[in-house]
Amino acid sequence: MNDLPPGEFPIGSENDIVSARRIIRNAATALGFGLTDVTRIVTAASELTRNIYVHAKSGIMRWRSVHRGSGVGLELTFADNGPGIPDVAKALQVGYTTGTGLGMGLPGSKRLTDEMTIQSEVGRGTTIVVRKWLPT
Amino acid sequence: MPAESISVIKLRGLLLVTVPPDPDDTTVSALQEKVLQAMVQHESRGLVLDISTVQTLDSFFARTVVETVQMVGLMGGRTVLAGMRANVAVTVTQLGLSIGNALTALDVDRAIELLDAEASKELRL
Amino acid sequence: MKREVKTKANSPAAVLGSQESYRQLVDSVTDYAIIMLDQDGHVVSWNPGAERIQGYTKREIIGKHFERFYTTEDVRRGLPGQDLKNAAKIGRVESEVLRVRKDGTQFWANVILSPLRDQEGTVRGFAKATRDLTELKRAEETARLASTYNRSLIDATLDPLLTIGPDGKLMDVNGATEAVTGRTRQELIGTDFFDYFTEPERARAGYQQIFRDGSVRDYPLELRRSDGQVVSVLFNASVYRDEAGNVIGIVAVARDITERKQAEARIQQQSREIMELSTPVMHVWQGVVVAPLIGSLDSQRTQQFMERLLDRIVETNSPVALMDIMGVPAVDSQTAQHLIETVSAVRLLGAQVVMTGVRPAIAQTLVHLGIDLSGIITRSSLSAGLQVAFDILEMQVVPKDKRL
Repeated sequence: MNDLPPGEFPIGSENDIVSARRIIRNAATALGFGLTDVTRIVTAASELTRNIYVHAKSGIMRWRSVHRGSGVGLELTFADNGPGIPDVAKALQVGYTTGTGLGMGLPGSKRLTDEMTIQSEVGRGTTIVVRKWLPT
Repeated sequence: MPAESISVIKLRGLLLVTVPPDPDDTTVSALQEKVLQAMVQHESRGLVLDISTVQTLDSFFARTVVETVQMVGLMGGRTVLAGMRANVAVTVTQLGLSIGNALTALDVDRAIELLDAEASKELRL
Repeated sequence: MKREVKTKANSPAAVLGSQESYRQLVDSVTDYAIIMLDQDGHVVSWNPGAERIQGYTKREIIGKHFERFYTTEDVRRGLPGQDLKNAAKIGRVESEVLRVRKDGTQFWANVILSPLRDQEGTVRGFAKATRDLTELKRAEETARLASTYNRSLIDATLDPLLTIGPDGKLMDVNGATEAVTGRTRQELIGTDFFDYFTEPERARAGYQQIFRDGSVRDYPLELRRSDGQVVSVLFNASVYRDEAGNVIGIVAVARDITERKQAEARIQQQSREIMELSTPVMHVWQGVVVAPLIGSLDSQRTQQFMERLLDRIVETNSPVALMDIMGVPAVDSQTAQHLIETVSAVRLLGAQVVMTGVRPAIAQTLVHLGIDLSGIITRSSLSAGLQVAFDILEMQVVPKDKRL
């Protein structure tokens, strides 16, 4: 418990969203998260892998444990070479949608995790990093 | 889980659908299709979606449920979401998702009671 | 004539030189008794210093034996004769001894006894210089007492007390410092003050602050004991100066706050536990849980509360949850948002929240904040809420004698 080998998983099909959820469920449980936090993390991972599949067709998900003082957390990275997000601030507003979901994907994932950083360049791709810390 | 494995059970004029624990998007979409066909076929007055084994309810799933509730409503039926897990409810709320005007119940038993009560209310009107 | 000359030349005065200028010099000395003795110890010359220190006039003492300056005990031990013998043999005898004045009082004196020889080298007499050490002894005693007093003050201080030189080296420490560092005084003195802390740079910064501002108060540092344990201390320190006002070092008192810190941690832990305890969710009736909220609600606490409430609703299969906010001192828009979220989450489960204990002040705040709780059933008291719960469950409470 409290340590986790890092890993990555390519996203290229709709079915990969389900696999990604399963992988992250195991990782978060192994790191010691409680059931509700596991559900939050898995739900965020589901949203963010679906974003990759819907907008960029393919990309990659990476996971690793992170440390801050005596605190331990899970860091997930979602990277793609898709069209990018023209206005990140706008994308974080509830209700902003480019088609599928309910426009809850990004802002919802931000609420479900403790930290979120978005790097995006139009035409080059998007990298989103989220972190969730184990409660002390 | 393949979409074909989802069973729609007809029970006292109602439809009972058990949603698998971790359905992919295709299964979720197929579920909607199957439910609507069954509604027509059995002239059901209501739908119980048993989600007691569902571990993750993300925005795509929620959207499909909301749509299904609306569609079933247009076809004259009420929908009850039964048995949502506590941790899923917390996450759905925090994610900011809405389930529209679906009814909810703690379990399938109570969902059926609820639909029966709704029906008798309508009869009185 | 020749003999007379010789006699004169052989007398102590003659040996020393009978010049008038010399006599004047000796006579002007009042801090020292400067006298001459013949070979046997009889006084042959007496100066005003001798009169002041020892009390005899010249007239009284000339020709008297010098043993009267000794204590009875010293005379009994034969010291006067021995001193003369030693002086003649060694050339000069200096001693710090007790002497007796004319009035019988005793005093500490520094006495130098030297032989006076003639041209052939024969001892013809002795020169004796006596200094009264009474004042010096008193000053020494005062200093010794002051030093003992200071030392005992330092050692009696229960808190670690230490002095540090301008070079940052420890100059002195007390017993409490030995205890807190786990090192002896000898080990500590002369070593670098900063090396004993987990953050030497912070210690150095505090030290520099003392020089800049003259003092520091409650400067927190962590001391590393010789056994590796870390002790939390607060330093109060100021510079100290010599008489000319130059800073010659720092006096510092440390207070061991390890216990206080542990107590604080315990209190924090307890308040966390109390916080969890203070959000119990009770299954009071078949199908009804009651959750009394007590104290202010922050995000973290509301989150925990929401999770516990939802778990209990599922566990007990209860369609009604009474959420009593009587014990919540104030509701702001943030808190209200959390409560609304909780209500929404409970609805998703298939249960209903009845919010009770809405006091007038809370009702006013909610309306003024423009918070819409219209979708939530609210009641002012828990008992009114329980009535709603029974209605929802289609139950009725009937007095015993009214039953069939």
